[in-house]
Amino acid sequence: MAVTAQGWRQRRAGRRRIPWLPYAFVLPAVLIFATLMAIPMMGAIFLSFESWDGLRPARWVGLANYVDLLQDPIFLQALEHTAYFVVVTVVLQTVIPLLVASLLNSGIRGSVVFRTIYFMPVVISLAITGLLWSMIYEPNFGVLNTTLNNLGLHGLTRFWLSDNVTVMPSIITISVWQSMGFYVVIFFAGLQNIPQELYESAALDGANAWQRLIRVTVPLLAPVTTVVVVLNTIGGIQVFDQVYVLTNGGPNHASETLGTYLYTVAFGAMASSVSELGYAAAIGVVILLLALILSVIQIRWGRAREIEY
Amino acid sequence: MATVRESKSVAPAQTRHRTAGLTAYRARRFVQRAGTYLILIALALVTIFPLLWMLSTSVKEPQDVFSGSLLPATFNVSTYQQVWVTMDFVAHFANSAFVTALTVAIIVAVATVAGYAFARFSFPGRDVIFYIFLASMIIPGQVILIPMFIFLKQIGLLNSLVGLSGSYLGGGLPFAIFLLRAFFKTLPNELADAAKIDGCSELGVFLRIFLPLARPGLATVTIFQFVGTWNEFLFATTFISSPELKTLQSALYLVVGRYSTDWTLLSAALTMAIAPVVLVYLLLQRQFVKGLTAGAIKG
Repeated sequence: MAVTAQGWRQRRAGRRRIPWLPYAFVLPAVLIFATLMAIPMMGAIFLSFESWDGLRPARWVGLANYVDLLQDPIFLQALEHTAYFVVVTVVLQTVIPLLVASLLNSGIRGSVVFRTIYFMPVVISLAITGLLWSMIYEPNFGVLNTTLNNLGLHGLTRFWLSDNVTVMPSIITISVWQSMGFYVVIFFAGLQNIPQELYESAALDGANAWQRLIRVTVPLLAPVTTVVVVLNTIGGIQVFDQVYVLTNGGPNHASETLGTYLYTVAFGAMASSVSELGYAAAIGVVILLLALILSVIQIRWGRAREIEY
Repeated sequence: MATVRESKSVAPAQTRHRTAGLTAYRARRFVQRAGTYLILIALALVTIFPLLWMLSTSVKEPQDVFSGSLLPATFNVSTYQQVWVTMDFVAHFANSAFVTALTVAIIVAVATVAGYAFARFSFPGRDVIFYIFLASMIIPGQVILIPMFIFLKQIGLLNSLVGLSGSYLGGGLPFAIFLLRAFFKTLPNELADAAKIDGCSELGVFLRIFLPLARPGLATVTIFQFVGTWNEFLFATTFISSPELKTLQSALYLVVGRYSTDWTLLSAALTMAIAPVVLVYLLLQRQFVKGLTAGAIKG
């Protein structure tokens, strides 16, 4: 049946028939994507040029939201904290997993067991991880301060999440703890693709373990590293869940990120101001632009450093 | 005789020298190995400690929580019962399960046919559409948070689990399509040619030949989407306002305030929320790791 129907259609349309099946297959995806991603995204860009409290009619204000952003001390703080988070997590969440993956790949036994354990926090939600660590960081009874006190290191105890010096490092620590296994697995897969002979010949030439890591592993892992750095960057720019759950940007905006500030402006209770959706949308557009620009630069840079073997 | 004796006297010396070198090499190697294991085990302990501590706290008596010992003196399961009832765990679990199942089902179905078309057909506009999908993978969810909120409100699906599921589709589809296209590309074209010679239609080729073969690819996408949707927090918190409709993640956040003075309850609640995902992970480890790192490793 199907064959004859298709044959008939083919004959009727002649040689330049337009295939219908591919379009039928792609159509649902295109419709869903247009409605639930493309149009909302254009809506966000459009809204960022408006002033709207969600109730009264929106008003076109041009670039005013963006100009305001540049003069908004809280936004600039949020931008700074986000940049800080991105830079530190990109470095730590690339270097540590790379070293750990190299150790796992050095011919030890039980590498599967280690990877299974390391990967476990990856499947847990960021919000729950945040809540779990809120108990660890709790100043009076939390494990961290209790342990420090038990070790006699009373001077090192802190109000981790309500001290504006330690709050960002504390949040970053959670991120490193949670995502290490993810990047270890990615690097490990990359390491397994490097031919063993390269290490053998490097060893014959007298290279020690550190030199083999720097001269063989790192250059050959450039494509994998690019992926890791891009994923880290895009994730870091959006950092929200843990911060929202742990501090909601506090104390006094010391851990405010672009994500938490956007949320607070749009939906949160900012005591004195009404919700300003256009302004929040502009923050969203800034997040988008940062993600776009940084990932394009990183991918370009990564490509340039790729080498063949 | 003399020469023999000479050679005999030389040989042990050489061996001794060689064993000394070998012993030093072995010793150094042993130290290296031991150091490696030490670091790896320490990291494993750091990784697992917060989870064990949570588990232990959840079964302690409230007055023992701050004792500082990792091992619980008692095994008090009543906290779990209490959380089960007071937090209405089953209802929130069901909400999460419903949203996740609906989202995964739609995304896997839609992405499968689309990924198949991108991989196996050549048609005008194919590359443009695909690259738009590909580029959109960079878009952070926060960008569409506000327009999505407005859109859901307009169509009356704000504060609805179906609406929440819908809000995940646009962000989830492109990556699923990307993965499934890559997967279908690995399947040999000869399969289709052979089936067509036997009189199979294009649709038949897809349904009877390629779909059954695509199971590993479907598993990968399902796991990735399952974990992502189950764990999602921002949209779930923003789009659902009724307490009884909250998903597990945002319901937990709400009860924290209530439980914050009672760590046994809080720990039990967190354990109950983490347990399903971690158990499934431990059961399906290989697929999980593959599913969550897919794209990153192949791409």
